[in-house]
Amino acid sequence: MIVLQDDRLEFRFPEVHAKARCSISFMRTLRLPDDNRSYPLPPGLGHFPLHHVDDFGATVPSAWMRHGGVFLPMYQAEAMWINFNCHYPMALKIAAGKVCALTGETWAPELVPEPQNYLVVPDQPWLDGFCVGQDLIRQFVAMPLGEGYSAEEQLTGEARYGGLQILAYPMKADVYKARFEQPKLQRMYSPMMAEAAYAPPEMGLAPGGLMRQEVYEDNHGFEAWDTSVSSRCFVHILNSVQYRTVTGNYPPSIPPSAADYARAGLPWFEYYASDLAALSGAASLAGLDSIAAKKIKKGEGVLADNEAIQLDRIVKLSNGQVREGTF
Amino acid sequence: MTLGRYLRNARERRRERDRTYSLRQVALRIGVEPAYLSKIERDQVPPPSEGTIRRLACELDEDSDLLLAMAGKVSGDLQAIILQRPQLFADLLRQLKDAPDHAILTVVREVRDGDW
Repeated sequence: MIVLQDDRLEFRFPEVHAKARCSISFMRTLRLPDDNRSYPLPPGLGHFPLHHVDDFGATVPSAWMRHGGVFLPMYQAEAMWINFNCHYPMALKIAAGKVCALTGETWAPELVPEPQNYLVVPDQPWLDGFCVGQDLIRQFVAMPLGEGYSAEEQLTGEARYGGLQILAYPMKADVYKARFEQPKLQRMYSPMMAEAAYAPPEMGLAPGGLMRQEVYEDNHGFEAWDTSVSSRCFVHILNSVQYRTVTGNYPPSIPPSAADYARAGLPWFEYYASDLAALSGAASLAGLDSIAAKKIKKGEGVLADNEAIQLDRIVKLSNGQVREGTF
Repeated sequence: MTLGRYLRNARERRRERDRTYSLRQVALRIGVEPAYLSKIERDQVPPPSEGTIRRLACELDEDSDLLLAMAGKVSGDLQAIILQRPQLFADLLRQLKDAPDHAILTVVREVRDGDW
């Protein structure tokens, strides 16, 4: 079952194990410069609000009611990262517009070990984007669906789904009991907008700037996962410009630019889990146009707020350390 | 079991495997004096504020609602929810007071999955 609690998705499998729970939140963050240089991890700037689609059936796009799930607001060209918080190991499939963020393949519910199409929590504390290389991702950045920027549109030629799709499989209970009799005491924390008078409400995730982040190989073995049970959720993305119309609430404030943040001397982050091997990334995802490149190809000029930045303060993190920034 | 004893047991369990869970270091991390935390753990002072209980829950990886209940408190967010529709929620809670866990779980609202 999945419940919504304090703007977090709580995946629970009480039928497998009382501790089989995983909390997922969607973090606001800085958009990295999209200049083909790789950057360290940006901070979390608080989480996006989450709402049941069903609560706003009269005002959300009609397809969303068919999909079910939840939605969150993002400004055009705003970035996000996904924060995982759990103790009980789970295999998570993450897709954007029904395109796997790890392999670039179209959505299928099955776990596949080679090429690995899932990440493993709590080993993986967060995911910031599309896995394009062994220690490189391209940041998740929201763009209006239908304008050709999203990974979904670039790979399938269609602007059909948008949003994020998440599917969770828990570890088998007997494997958990055998390997984790004394649960580890680690806790996983985490650590733009040209507003048009009218903006289409539905957003997809497009590949933004490059970031140094590893997506780890499954360290538990494929047989550890209980594929007889699963829970999935469609996370729609609503253009923040439409947020008030849909919900009656004011949207979150506009986040600072990466340059403003860097100029203020605030920290960026590097994360090391040296005992884990990293996936090699997907060639299909590596071949996608980033937003800045696509904008030039489309003859729409250069991406705003995309100046290169000088980073003076990089904090090295290990398991259990907070990745939060204030501004 | 009292709140203080529960907290002390939880902290001591962690300290057996991680020395940073000493009374002094935990107090430092949650922003109170070690002497005050010691008194809380020995039930020599009234239960601390909701904020302190929440920080303790986070620090010790315990459920904040459970700790608040042991302290005889209802969390602020629940109070706000009840105050919005007091009669409805009072009626709901009375109706469910003797219901078994599985029956209560059936009224927990799940995120609906659809066709996609």
